[in-house]
Amino acid sequence: MSVLERIKATRVFKSIYRNPYPNTTKTRLAIMVDSLVLHLHPARIVRRGTWVTYTWGLGGLSAWMFVILTITGVFLMWYYIPNVSDAYWSIRAIESEVVFGQFMRNLHRWAAHAMVILVFLHMCRVFYTGAYKPPREFNWVIGVTLLTVTFLLSFTGYLLPWDQLAYWAITVGTNIGGATPFIGDRINFLLLGGYEIGQPTLIRWYTLHVIFLPLLTIALMSLHFWRVRKDGGISTPVVEDEAEGPGYPPVMEQEG
Amino acid sequence: MDKGMAHERTATRTVTAPRPVQAQAQAAAGRPKLNPDEKVLVWPYLVRIEFIAALLFLLLLSLMAVFIDAPLAPLANPDVTPNPAKAPWYFLGLQELLLHMDKALAGVIVPGAVLLGLAALPYIDVRRKGTGIWFHSKRGVPITLFSFFYTAAWNVSLILIDEFLPVPGEAGAHGIGPIVKYWLSNARDAGWLFGVSDRVINAIAGWIVPTFIMLFIPASLVLILRRRWQADTREAAMGLFTFFVASFLVLTIVGTAFRGPGMRLMWPWEVGAANH
Repeated sequence: MSVLERIKATRVFKSIYRNPYPNTTKTRLAIMVDSLVLHLHPARIVRRGTWVTYTWGLGGLSAWMFVILTITGVFLMWYYIPNVSDAYWSIRAIESEVVFGQFMRNLHRWAAHAMVILVFLHMCRVFYTGAYKPPREFNWVIGVTLLTVTFLLSFTGYLLPWDQLAYWAITVGTNIGGATPFIGDRINFLLLGGYEIGQPTLIRWYTLHVIFLPLLTIALMSLHFWRVRKDGGISTPVVEDEAEGPGYPPVMEQEG
Repeated sequence: MDKGMAHERTATRTVTAPRPVQAQAQAAAGRPKLNPDEKVLVWPYLVRIEFIAALLFLLLLSLMAVFIDAPLAPLANPDVTPNPAKAPWYFLGLQELLLHMDKALAGVIVPGAVLLGLAALPYIDVRRKGTGIWFHSKRGVPITLFSFFYTAAWNVSLILIDEFLPVPGEAGAHGIGPIVKYWLSNARDAGWLFGVSDRVINAIAGWIVPTFIMLFIPASLVLILRRRWQADTREAAMGLFTFFVASFLVLTIVGTAFRGPGMRLMWPWEVGAANH
């Protein structure tokens, strides 16, 4: 009996991992049901749903970007100071003094751009494969909301380095919001926390960026994934003369 | 394979065989034909693909993070305005629109309408036919390609016209809006138009004319699709969505790579300081 097998035989190990390594049909079905992360998926899926060229994995990769951004973001939060006089210098310190600081900042930045692109491409994939059609209409709406929130996440993060790039990009962006008919001035005041970009703006956007919008994203993503399953899983071609309206994908004919 | 699975396979076969998806041809190339509707185990057949994709992206982004540093400009200075001051790249399409019409129309109404339009899509195209099939039908690909190039041609032409069409008699002024303003002011000063106010003239030049153009492009596109391809609702929706994607792409690319100091149009190598 090897050391590994002994560990696997312990009560503690068995209490954590309910299944042995999934290498039989039974254990492969079981692990999909018993695992928190894996149970997002059904235990079985139609073969076409596994084709890379059908989904390109864009939705899953968008969520994966969010995970990377959360991890790198928390790392950056340990060193970043959301204060007008310190913000820029704390970024400089992250780049020059913190171990892996530059790497983490870079990864956070590139994953953020990747997420915006991936979410957009995911929307295109869903559209061109007709995966927004009934009964998936509302999940498409949630998806459009998630696209908006993704833009907002990226945009609120853009101000935090407090460099020239950030300051003026936000000036341009909030000016656009300030052009809203009738309530433009109020929207501008709401965005800036005053009449110009300053400490109130920074703390406002920081809070949105690290707490409010991520929590909103998690809530919407959960709803989004849950709806995918509830609306019949991955979209598959439906019978053309099928009755229109709500309903799940093809109902299996019962034998006998 | 246990009995339960075998039963499931025969049961799934009774689902009407869908029209072939493009991917099917690729997947089946050189391999025995697999039944696309057969159920397979998610572990390993799907989980392994997701795992590889996640690792691949982590690796690529990590390599990028090792070799390319995120930009950091000098400390923010409210007194020094960079020329040009640009929003983040995904808003540069909107910033490009701002150059061509009233600020509120370009920056608030258009994106608001686009988001509402996107959300409304599945409530307009309610047929279930075409679910799960790339580009819906044989006509889908040509319709999408045509919509893309038709829209892009309009976008590029309008951007060029606005940049290079001079306003007669006014040095340095250019573009459709200013020209409309010039005509209307002249007509008013000549005693026509019942002496309308500047506000009305500005509304026509900054709101009505651009709105008309922005509605004309998708409307004419749908008309062409209906005439030329007998497009159904889904195919018309494909045209409209492609109109949005193409406009977003063209405007973003122009706003990012072709706008330099003073937001004048120029070649990417003249723009200078890269905008990240």
